[in-house]
Order: sequence, then structure tokens, then C-alpha cells
Amino acid sequence: MGLSIDVHGLKLTYDTFPVLDGAEFKIEKGDLVALLGANGAGKSTLLRCISRILQPTGGKIILDGRDLDKLNSRETARLMAVVPQETTADFDFTVEDIVMMGRFPYLRRFQKESREDYHIVKRAMEMTGVLHLAERSIATLSGGEKQRVIMARAISQQPEVLLLDEPTANLDIGYQSMLLELAARLNREQGVTVIAAIHDINLAVHHFSRFIMLSDGRVLAAGRPEEVITPENIHKSYGVPASTYRHPLHGVLQISVARGRDSEREPNRGPLVHVIGGGEEALPVLELLDQQGYRLSIGPVSAQDSGCRFAHFHNLPVIIVPPFTSLDEQHREKHLEMLRSSDAVVVPPIAFGEGNLPIFDEVETVLREGKPTYIIDFEGVNDRDYSGKAGELMQRLVDEGAIALEILEELPSLLFKNGGLGDER
Amino acid sequence: MRNEIKSRSGLIKPLFMTGLFMLLFFSIIAAMVWGAVDIGWRSVFAILLDALPFYDSPASEDIVPVYSDILLKIRVPRVLLAAAVGSSLAVAGAVFQGLFRNPMADPYVIGISSGAALGAVFAMLGGFSLTLGGFGAVPLFAFGGGVATMMLVYTMARVGRAVPVMTLLLAGIAVSAFLSAIVSLLTYFAGEKLHMVVFWMMGGLGGATWHQVQVMVPYALAGYICVSFFSRELNAMLLGEETASNLGVNTERVKKILLVGASLLVAAAVSTSGIIGFVGLVVPHFIRLVAGPDHRFLIPASALLGGTLLIATDTLARIIIAPSELPVGIITALIGAPMFIYLLKKRKKLRYFGGGG
Repeated sequence: MGLSIDVHGLKLTYDTFPVLDGAEFKIEKGDLVALLGANGAGKSTLLRCISRILQPTGGKIILDGRDLDKLNSRETARLMAVVPQETTADFDFTVEDIVMMGRFPYLRRFQKESREDYHIVKRAMEMTGVLHLAERSIATLSGGEKQRVIMARAISQQPEVLLLDEPTANLDIGYQSMLLELAARLNREQGVTVIAAIHDINLAVHHFSRFIMLSDGRVLAAGRPEEVITPENIHKSYGVPASTYRHPLHGVLQISVARGRDSEREPNRGPLVHVIGGGEEALPVLELLDQQGYRLSIGPVSAQDSGCRFAHFHNLPVIIVPPFTSLDEQHREKHLEMLRSSDAVVVPPIAFGEGNLPIFDEVETVLREGKPTYIIDFEGVNDRDYSGKAGELMQRLVDEGAIALEILEELPSLLFKNGGLGDER
Repeated sequence: MRNEIKSRSGLIKPLFMTGLFMLLFFSIIAAMVWGAVDIGWRSVFAILLDALPFYDSPASEDIVPVYSDILLKIRVPRVLLAAAVGSSLAVAGAVFQGLFRNPMADPYVIGISSGAALGAVFAMLGGFSLTLGGFGAVPLFAFGGGVATMMLVYTMARVGRAVPVMTLLLAGIAVSAFLSAIVSLLTYFAGEKLHMVVFWMMGGLGGATWHQVQVMVPYALAGYICVSFFSRELNAMLLGEETASNLGVNTERVKKILLVGASLLVAAAVSTSGIIGFVGLVVPHFIRLVAGPDHRFLIPASALLGGTLLIATDTLARIIIAPSELPVGIITALIGAPMFIYLLKKRKKLRYFGGGG
């Protein structure tokens, strides 16, 4: 069924340092919650207070209306199971022995395990895919297998609440999402309330529906991903600048820690390079040139385009056109102006269609005026052409002096090297 | 399905247990037959049967009265005491190894032996003529010293309500070193009693009496039962206290009970027979190598093998330089250590206790 958990003003002090400083939140029955926060924010400590390993110095934890302190250890273990980050298993216990230990809170002293206990253990091993390992010694298993065995043990406890303390920290990406999917399945099928402390936010958003972010032992934000995973909260809790975006395939919120572009970094002072168009294909070009210290301008791009977001994030000049429209005269003039004021023009491997071909009229104009122009992945133009005219157009540009590149990585060594401005940097 | 899964390990354990029982039985017979005077096994059975109150042996007139006295007044109590002491040490060793999750742990790891030794040496040098409940000053002081040391170490390691295992281990080592130094100091000034002191510390079962058996055997049984009550908890504790606690084990309570139970076993063993090394260290390891770490099996099996091993080594101690005796502690180490090394080498994949697979 799952149980609700109320945490009231939880405090815990190590020596005189407050690890938890009045954490307060409510988790409803059957919630699937990811606990986020930097190292030392109090995630593990909070989970260990809930699992009663640690005794809080203040505050209260209410489990389904009952004070957690009033339960004895066996009762607690029947309601709550824990999957830790890592289990030391140096002993020759078999996998089945380990999973059977999950039945401990149900067995009386000297009582033999019943058929039902064996059945539950077998089902738990099936569910986590470790049944074939039943006879193997736990000490011989890989990290991923071991963690699934621990998960099976937690399942065989038949808990109402499942606590996971960074359960995926030592796993490869395959096992990471498999383990979290298992937790989500328990939540979905059996209504188990799941709380998982987790470092990998981008992984967490795929599996969890509610988020609690801790910072300095308090709850910084709680709720849906959009409410919790914001650049501001990330900055407050983790102390790094970050940007958020939608996963291009799954649409879930993702974060990325911006490399280097923090307030302390000096602004770029190199020559001004104009990059044509946007889209994901332009991003590596923009990122590379930015790292190399060039100043940048971008355009024309549509408002929701990633190139546009790049420009806003780095505060760059950009020409924005409304989505689903072609360029009007005003934009074309602005674009020509921008092209002229730049020191070089780069055409990234963008797709070509009737909508954006007119841009190249202006490019051709500045090329004729002697502006160094670079076309990346010239060979692949035809594969990205939806107009049937781009191949011919690009060939013409090259004939008129544009430099064709095969791959992006060649750009830094060619830029300004033959003709034009020379080594101004 | 359950039977299919369990079939392999399900057969090994009963066979192994039967083997251990038979080994114990034969070592008891052998210990009664051999000695400074060999008593034939027929005579042994005749004397034993004749000693039963409700049975009148047809061969009773063949019994040599001296043999009867040697057997009933010296060898039988000695064998029973060896069984009780050996199994107490082995069970305590298994408990301490599990509790501390440390393969180096033995019954003396938290300093009970040093405390007992200090008590015993103190009593010997003081020449007290105190007796209590039929016991002389040396075993009484040894027992008191052992128990006091355990309480001291426990109190030192305690943090609030909890007793961290690692602190306990370190406190035990520190206290043990300190007490050993005092014992050495006293030994240095022991003068003509030096021989007595050194002999006591080597451990031996000479001078075993029925009275000691009457106290030690029920005591060892009680300790054994107390410990085996918590074998399932001990299994969970092997995975770490936090995990055990998450599985519903009241770790602090279990730790306290097991610590006190095992310590009392050790204190009683040491006070009756001095410091007999190696039994408590090697026996649990041997059982684990064969049958795995499950304490529900490990504890009874350790008790059987510990008793057997001490009976066997004590018999050797009696016959090697008969009619004199060697201290049994020397034999246990001389035999136990090479045997253990052989096992380690033979079974290369020593996985328990972080041996690496």
C-alpha cells in the first residue's frame, strides 16, 4: 500500500556542526521521490534518520500517523527496507542466503523458513533477475549483480517504504537505470513509497515524479521537476552554474553544468566570428569557437532554437526570426549588417531548405567583399539538402573563395590562416 | 523448487555434523584408553558400565581397581572438562569473529585472557588461601580478572548508548597490552613461583576434578544456548551493523548479550585451564571453510570440533613425554597452526572475510 512520511523540523548535529537543520517535508502514500542535493547537503543523513540508524537531535518523523520512535526494530523492518550505496559482502553466503535475510523480521527465533518464505525469496530474485545466481557466493558477484541481490533482499522484506541511498553510485549506466526502474516498478505495481537519494539528476528525472532538493540540511525545494530542478536551485545547492533543457527525445528536464562560463571568466577578446543558422548542428561549432576565445554572433535562428538559447546564455548578438516564417527584408538587412561587421563567417553542417537558402545571398555578398568564409562538412551537403539546390550553391561559394572543411576539428587550425585577417589573435 | 535449490548444501551439512559427532565420540574413547597407563578399550567400557548405578557388569570381577580409579577419578573428568573448555573457546571465537567481522579475532581479543592472567598471577604470588564454592584462589581471581577486564573494555568503548565494534576492538587491544605488561612485571619478580606462573599461562587441564566439571559443563551449556539464540542475528551482523539494523536486528542489544555471553564462556574456560591458544581461532575458520558462514551451523559445529580438538591435543600432551605432561597450549598451537596453513593453501579461494575470490 505504501505509507506516508512526515518529517517535522528534523535536526541532527555532529559534534557542533548541524548536518540537518530543520528539514521539513511530507511524502504522500505511494510517492516516488528523488532526494537531490550536493555532497554534505544531508541526503544520506536524512535517510539514515528515517531508517533509524541515526537518532535525530530534534524534530520528529511520523510514519503513517505513527511516531517512528514508538516502533520496535522488527516492526520497522517489516515496514521499511533500505538499499545502501554499497554492501560489503566478503562472506561465503549464497545469494539465496542473503535474500532470505530479508525474511528476518518475519521469522520467530528458531523458526524454520516456511514454503511461503522460500516462495517470496524466489519471486524477489526473479523480479531482479538474479534467480540464476541463487547458488553463487555473494562474494564472487560483480557490483551490478550484488546490488540487484541487495534489491531482492529489500523486496523480500515486503516493505511499504523503500529507501535507496545512492544505490547506483557504483554501477554502470545499464545497471543504473535497471535498478531505478525496479524501484519505480515496485512503486507502480505495489504502491511502495520510494525515496531515493541520487546524484545523477539527469538519470533521476527519467524515473521519478517528485523531487526534494536539500541544501545545508534544509529543504530548498520540493515538488515536480520543473519546480525543483532550476538553474537557481542547482546553483544554491551545488554551487555550480547550470542550465536546464528538455531531453530532445524524451522531453524530460535535463541539466547541464556549463563549462567555464561563470562570472569570473574573462570575456572573449578574439576576432568576431559569425555562425550561420542554429540547430543542434551549430552548437558544437559555437561551443568550440567560444572555448577558443572568439567573439561570436549568431543568426538567423528561430526563437526556440538551441542556437538562440546558446546566444542568450552567453549574451551574444543574435538575429531571431519567428518560427515557421521566412526572412523578411528587415531581417535580411540586419543579417547583412552583422555579416559585414564580423571578421569571418562559418557555415555549420545545418540542413538546407527553401526557408533558409535566401540567407546565402547575403553570405555570397560578403564573400565577394573578401570576408573569409568557411563551410563545414562540405562533402555532406547533399545529405542535408531538402531543397535540391544547396549542393550547387555551396559549390559556387567555394569557387568564389570559401574554404571547404571536412570536419569541425579542422576549423581552429584553418581559421584566419589563409587570406583575410591573418593572425590577429 | 526449494528442494532443488537446497539439495547440494542440504546434504553436506548433516553429513559433516555426523562426522563431527563421531570424531568427538572416538576422541573421548581414545582419551580414556591412552595415557601414562594404557587401559584397554574393553576395560574402559567395563568400568564405565559398572559405574552406572542400575547396571551390574558381568565382567566386573575382571576390572583392575587401580584402573577404575584412574579412569573415573582422573581421566573422565579431564575429558569432560577438555570438551567443555574446548567448545567454550571455539564458540566464543566464532562469536567474536562474527561480531567484530574480523578473521583475526579470537576468544582473547578483548583482553579477557590478560585480565584473567593478571588475576591468576596475583593470586599465585600473593599465596592466598581463599576458597569459595570449592574453588581455590587462582581460578577465582582469574575469573574475576577476566570479567572485570571485559567490563572495563566495554565501558571504555561505549559512546552514549552505542558500542562501536571497532572502538571495542581497539580498546581491547590497548587494555590487553597494558595488563600483559603488568603480568610480565609481576612475572619478573615471581622468584621461585616463576615456574608455576609460566605453566599456568601455557594452559593445561592437569588436576581436573569432578567439581570443576560440575560447574564448568552446565556453565558452558548455558553460554552455548545463550549464544545460539542469536545465530540468525549474527548472520545479519556479518553484513554490517547498519544492514543488520535495517533488517530488524536490535544491534546494540544483541551485541551486548553476545559480548557478555561469550566473555563469560572465555573467563570460565581460562580460569579452569589457563590460556589455551589457537582452539578458538582455528576451529571456527575450519568450519567456515567447509560449510560456510551460517552461524546456525557454525556455532554447534564449532562446539563439537572445539571439544574434540582439545580432547585430542590434551591426550597427546599426556602421552608424548609420559609419565610427565606437556602444557596442552603448546600442542594446540603446534598442531593447529600447520593444519590451518595447510587448509588455507589447499583451498585457495578463501572468500570469507575479504579473502578475495
